[in-house]
Amino acid sequence: MQCEQRVPMPGLCRVPGDLVAANDSSPRVIAYGPEATMVDGLVAGEAAVVRTAILHTCAEQHVSINDVVAGARSVVITHPRDNAEVVRALLSSIEVSDAVEISPVVAPSVTLAVDYSGPDLDYVAQQCGLTSQEVVTLHSGAKYVVEFCGFSPGFAYLTGLPAVLHLPRRATPRPRVPRGAVAIAAQYSAVYPRESPGGWHLLGVTDHQLWNMTRDQPATLTPGTMVSFEQIT
Amino acid sequence: MTLIIERAGLTTVQDYGRPGWAHLGVPHSGAVDRGSFLLANRLAGNERSAAMLETSGGLALRASVAVTVVITGADTDAYINNQPLAHCKATLVHPGDTIRINRVLDGMRCYVAFTGGVHGLAQLHSLSHDSLSQIVPMPLTAGSEITLGVADRLATSLDVPIVPRRLPRLSLHPGPHHSLLTPEQRQDLATQKWIIAQDSNRIGVRLTSDALRRNEFPELLSLPLVRGAVQLTPSGELVVMLADHPTTGGYPVVGVLASDDVDDLAQRPSSTTVVLGW
Repeated sequence: MQCEQRVPMPGLCRVPGDLVAANDSSPRVIAYGPEATMVDGLVAGEAAVVRTAILHTCAEQHVSINDVVAGARSVVITHPRDNAEVVRALLSSIEVSDAVEISPVVAPSVTLAVDYSGPDLDYVAQQCGLTSQEVVTLHSGAKYVVEFCGFSPGFAYLTGLPAVLHLPRRATPRPRVPRGAVAIAAQYSAVYPRESPGGWHLLGVTDHQLWNMTRDQPATLTPGTMVSFEQIT
Repeated sequence: MTLIIERAGLTTVQDYGRPGWAHLGVPHSGAVDRGSFLLANRLAGNERSAAMLETSGGLALRASVAVTVVITGADTDAYINNQPLAHCKATLVHPGDTIRINRVLDGMRCYVAFTGGVHGLAQLHSLSHDSLSQIVPMPLTAGSEITLGVADRLATSLDVPIVPRRLPRLSLHPGPHHSLLTPEQRQDLATQKWIIAQDSNRIGVRLTSDALRRNEFPELLSLPLVRGAVQLTPSGELVVMLADHPTTGGYPVVGVLASDDVDDLAQRPSSTTVVLGW
């Protein structure tokens, strides 16, 4: 199920020193209250890599931090209040283009077997002007990368969904989405790690247990993990 | 070394929470009022992050062995058998005695620490009950047992109890979306008389007002949240993140409260008011 291979690093052709540039279109370091700092203005695909670079650099420089969390276009570092200046200076010295060098050359890769029989498959096909099988072919043919996790433990936002499948989320969320549901909304795909409410379009279901706290690594999908879906025939 | 729960009431086991898992979507969790939590462990002679009980009342426990208890946080109506149990005092409980925390009198939660600390099987290295993710290593129900560790240091008492601080004004530090606010909107946040909403809980405190102003900020891409982050909702209400806050969110984070101010806010009863200032 799992193998390791080189990670492609899309979108990392940024100029050196650009984390300190202060405009909305380039990465910048900003205070997030006295005990956290945010690297904002990243482009799609950068957050997971920048997160790894920050972890690595802080460890190497013996800078004490608490948590490093990736968002859609940002990374937030929580740290002791007394450490704010040190952390911010260190972050300003990280260049996004260097993050490739610092990041591990291998990232986990996982293929999830999917039974594409979700209740929203026909609706999605209709909205996108496709047949159901075309939706399945597009969804299972794409390569995805975990951009960040959120919403619930082990819930990973996967980038790489073909643009033709980008749809707003359901007007009314479902009170219960089953564990393993493979879903799409906006530019993301995801798998519900456990039963929960949810507003995404459900294309199918996988048996893979994405979240298990008895494992050393409770989450299958961590920031940077590469993901493929395979139709069960 | 055990205690038997006779009535659990509004009680959870809490330690310092689960740092290091937020990147997987796991809330930090842990004690809501960190200052009161740390004080309880210090007085009980425990490690700073030792687990204890966080309760809003309705709790009754029976000791099966001699144990030293310390209560901090909100003032409470607490007893050992029929004797009032004083705050911030290391108090010996004898086998067969019953500890009762009937209700909190002024505040939201108190902390009940035992010398030796509460022990159990941790999940993701913590015993904390996380109300958002429902990570609950030790559910507390009538009849369940609490195991305590071995006390290796002496407990101490304070002559004058420390009660949760309540400042006339809590300080807003600029959040990542502070620059989205107009000068009038910034001013407005600092002059509103904010009211603690009834549905505030361990996840967050919702602040409403009699003079809310709607706003038209565009929907944001998900960004990581931190404890103390102040989100501005489209209706003009604020939601301040507490221990069990989700790891990411999509509302603008206009301000952030420092840790001590989060403790202060988290101890304010619903329907009371609070003033924020830059």
